[in-house]
Amino acid sequence: MANVTLTHIAKAYGNGPTVIRDVTIDVRDQEFVVLVGPSGCGKSTLLRMIAGLEDITSGDLLLDGKRINDLPPKDRDIAMVFQNYALYPHMTVFENMAFGLKLRNMAKADIRERVTQAARILEIENLLDRKPKDMSGGQRQRVAIGRAIVREPKVFLFDEPLSNLDAKLRGQTRIELQKLHRQLRATMIYVTHDQVEAMTLGDRIVVLRGGDVMQFDTPLTLYNRPANRFVAGFIGTPPMNFLPGQVRQVDGVRCFITAGVAMNIPITDVAQQTALTPYVGKLVTLGIRAEHLTVVSVNEQAVPLPVRIDALENMGNEALAYVTMGESRLVARLSPTDVLALAVGQSATLFLSTAHAHFFDDETELVIR
Amino acid sequence: MKYFLLALAALTFVYPFIWMLSASLSAESGLGDLTLLPEQFTWNNYVTVFTKIPLGRAFLNSAFVAIITTGLVLITGAMVGYALARYEFVGRDWIFYAIIFTMTLPFQITLIPNYITMVRLGWIDTYLALIVPFSLSSLAVLLFRQAFQSLPQALIDAARIDGAGELRIIFQILVPNVLPTVLTITILTFMGLWNEALWPLIVIRDESTMTMPQLVTLFSVGGRAEGQLGVKIAAAVLLAVPVVILYLFFQKHFIRSMASSGLKD
Ligand SMILES: Nc1ncnc2c1ncn2[C@@H]1O[C@H](COP(=O)(O)OP(=O)(O)O)[C@@H](O)[C@H]1O
Ligand SMILES: [Mg+2]
Repeated sequence: MANVTLTHIAKAYGNGPTVIRDVTIDVRDQEFVVLVGPSGCGKSTLLRMIAGLEDITSGDLLLDGKRINDLPPKDRDIAMVFQNYALYPHMTVFENMAFGLKLRNMAKADIRERVTQAARILEIENLLDRKPKDMSGGQRQRVAIGRAIVREPKVFLFDEPLSNLDAKLRGQTRIELQKLHRQLRATMIYVTHDQVEAMTLGDRIVVLRGGDVMQFDTPLTLYNRPANRFVAGFIGTPPMNFLPGQVRQVDGVRCFITAGVAMNIPITDVAQQTALTPYVGKLVTLGIRAEHLTVVSVNEQAVPLPVRIDALENMGNEALAYVTMGESRLVARLSPTDVLALAVGQSATLFLSTAHAHFFDDETELVIR
Repeated sequence: MKYFLLALAALTFVYPFIWMLSASLSAESGLGDLTLLPEQFTWNNYVTVFTKIPLGRAFLNSAFVAIITTGLVLITGAMVGYALARYEFVGRDWIFYAIIFTMTLPFQITLIPNYITMVRLGWIDTYLALIVPFSLSSLAVLLFRQAFQSLPQALIDAARIDGAGELRIIFQILVPNVLPTVLTITILTFMGLWNEALWPLIVIRDESTMTMPQLVTLFSVGGRAEGQLGVKIAAAVLLAVPVVILYLFFQKHFIRSMASSGLKD
């Protein structure tokens, strides 16, 4: 059993500015939670507070309901994997993995058994006598993970563990981490700035910006129902398209009028109509994912957008069309055959259905639902 | 041409040393010449030295004092250096500057106050007087601080999570990763202590507690050599031997130590 609860956690370094403002999240037993956000948003700070490496300025940190704010790292029953592996350079792989166990006065035979077992899981049995400097980045990363595993901690913490690996190895290791999580049934908290990593690994994801939690939910919810413009733009590749504009009442129908080219986009969805009622006359932003811009109209309500093709990228399985409409730049994900009919520099028509659109309040950046 | 000059330079440095060796093995009458081979070879000078002064005892004293003090310098230097490199506390920088400042003070200035302290503590004629005043070295603190700053913080974090306390972090995790610094400090400290004659002359009067340089100095200038140059030289050779042996062992590090510490004396 291990659930980790953060309530109203805040952090300022020394007398400096607040870098974590007011974070409240609960990590359930055996859950894989990813903290994601742009560089400098406070992910590492949050993780290091959970580890006990940084003081918590205010708020409560609970492990299984027990407040552990003032517990030193060694008494927290957590293990951490660092970005630069942080292996002890003067020790062999075996010694690196055994160090924490020795300090806990475990019997030699038990240590050997645990290390061997972890080495087997990670397929590094043949490296046990090597020093870190004689290994590749991927191998070092495995050892770093092994050092955490042998401790059999309640909670695993990872701080960007894959960011020093090349793309291919990163993909492989991602899958192995998933496997490991299932195998160990441990609670894991994982920090990354890479939203793909977050989406593929996380049971739930915490999106952070400037020390604030933007949204904390499952990957699919973040993707399909972003709480605000930041999450909408951060999660997903390519990022969501945004069109600035205004809500107006035209002939008794509420419409979204795009700024610049003044396109009239009627809002057909009843729920959206209701939600947008208070916004008539106000500035809002329409968000639409690349796959919801199509070359053929999918339903009657779809609105044709006149666009100019800036660039085409055909990957074979899918294609991206980068286009402009007035001042706005958009990207559409199309089928590889559909793009064959398009040509760079020419105009074309893309269809947008408001059923798939998100609207964001320009003042608060929150989604309008 | 280049090699000729180099050879000449080398010869200039080495010549006095070789002469010293050969002179110490010559009979007193043959000492006038600047020859490089012993005249009338004899061990007599060495025999005389050993019968006149307790050189064996002094050697042990020197070794004891130098080894213990160097050990203390390493321990205290690592601890203070770690605190200065990795802790944030009020006045840290001022403490660091103060430590650096003490390096600029010539030894002679602190000689009298230190002597008075030793008298008050009743440490005159004890090993404590030879060890304690030198057991914290600002050079060691400085070098350890720099070395620890260059190690990644994650190393310390990882050890902390593994359950290591601060002392274990310093001596089991950090120090093994700055061995060149450890060697530099060891060599410089050990040599400095081994060659130190002035301080022992001030605080030690009891012959059985004297260190080698002190004993040899007293012997040479104190009249007991009875004006016999060969005997004095033999004593000097014996004084130099341990350092030379040390040098032969750690030649490479010796050179690096000297280069890395343009700061010292
Ligand atoms: N030891 C520190 N002292 C002062 N400020 C720090 C320290 N560590 C991080 N910060 C600041 O806290 C903010 C968050 O940093 P960090 O948690 O490392 O971000 P992330 O891991 O998301 O990139 C940054 O603005 C950073 O400059
Ligand atoms: Mg970080």
